[in-house]
Amino acid sequence: MRAATQLTAAGRAVALRIGVNQVRFTALHAVGLVTLLSGILSFLVISQATRELGRIGATDLIGTLMVVAIVRELGPLITALVVVGRSGTAIAAELATNQVLGEVRALEAMGIDPKQYLVLPRFAGSLVSMFALLVVFDLVAILAGYAATSLNGMSGGRYFDIVLTSLRARDVWLTVLKALAFGIIVGVVPSYFGLAVRRAPTEIPIAASRAVVAAIVGIFLCSALFVALG
Amino acid sequence: MTAPLRFDHVPLGRHASHPFSLEIPAHHTVAVLGDEDSGLGLLGSYALGLDRPVAGRALAFDTDVASLPGPERLAFRRRIGYLPAGDGLLQNLSLRDNVALPLRFGSGASPKEIEGRVNVMLTAVRLANVGALRPAQANEEERRRAALARAIAFDPALLVLEQPFDGLTARVASELLELARGGESAEGARRTIFITGQEIPPLLLRRVEQVYRLTRAGLLEPETV
Repeated sequence: MRAATQLTAAGRAVALRIGVNQVRFTALHAVGLVTLLSGILSFLVISQATRELGRIGATDLIGTLMVVAIVRELGPLITALVVVGRSGTAIAAELATNQVLGEVRALEAMGIDPKQYLVLPRFAGSLVSMFALLVVFDLVAILAGYAATSLNGMSGGRYFDIVLTSLRARDVWLTVLKALAFGIIVGVVPSYFGLAVRRAPTEIPIAASRAVVAAIVGIFLCSALFVALG
Repeated sequence: MTAPLRFDHVPLGRHASHPFSLEIPAHHTVAVLGDEDSGLGLLGSYALGLDRPVAGRALAFDTDVASLPGPERLAFRRRIGYLPAGDGLLQNLSLRDNVALPLRFGSGASPKEIEGRVNVMLTAVRLANVGALRPAQANEEERRRAALARAIAFDPALLVLEQPFDGLTARVASELLELARGGESAEGARRTIFITGQEIPPLLLRRVEQVYRLTRAGLLEPETV
């Protein structure tokens, strides 16, 4: 944050351009994958649940299942995994390459803080992308749930009614907080591992691999913490 | 007048039994030549405070740059132009953006002023027509010209050049040295220049006031032409 406030106007413009590119790669290019995963997951889960819960007359629980399990828990988790898998590796590999080619050192020699030029835009881009993709995931999940319940004989009005009845402000806040926490992990962990590389090109794939593993572990631990505290 | 750059008893190579000491007088161009294992490659990073010597000290404008706190250290480095070995250009930026980068991050100038300054720099180093190329698309000479333009972007009084002439013809090397010197003043070159490298083209020797050769033992001997 301090790095952001120290930027000159022209530096801010450069950082913004890099951040927008990051969002384009991390969010826009991942919309298809997130839509596919969210749609299939939600359709399968809600389709099965509608049939099974219908037998015992408990279809109202579909709303809770959709809100708690898919929107609040799986949505942020799967979105974060997609972002880490696609962009976490890219960020770590890119920064490690910058390091190996001596570009990070050249930036420092020019009086440019590598955190301002390399880390900050990627961090901000990851955060924005995580939010955007989570919104996409949840919207697609709710629509796929609608498709699943429709095919199993439930009216659209009833489906949206039980989903909205199950949705509480706390669920929205928890989802937003998770997106924020996971976005921070996705932005910071790969940057750290990328810049930790010294001079050998052979360190680049190792850094990318370590970054992804550490970020995934961090995301799962963070998710567990949310459940424990929530 | 104190020397813009000074090394006091700085140990260099693994085989060196003598610490390195040298003063680079203002408005002089000084070259230190030596083999790769002489530890010569460390001098540039010591001068800019990118690395800290295990003993002794490197002072630029009487300041131990490495000991300055983070933001001050970055700001101070803008007073020193640096052309690292291997040029250090950012591969994902055009040559033009590479030259503009330090100005965009380190000056309070408006984008229009920066563009104007970059145009002047690119014309000076004869890159006006190839500024849009990425470093990987440019040849070695163009990359070196861009790296020099970037090094003098803030019009520094002190320039540190690492292996600046490797792979260049004597004519191009001579032209780049003139650009680096920044014209002449009553005292000599407008800028103080410290060059490290393995060799220097003989044609350039008349423009370099002092040339030394660093032995593996760490001794500094005047280079005989």
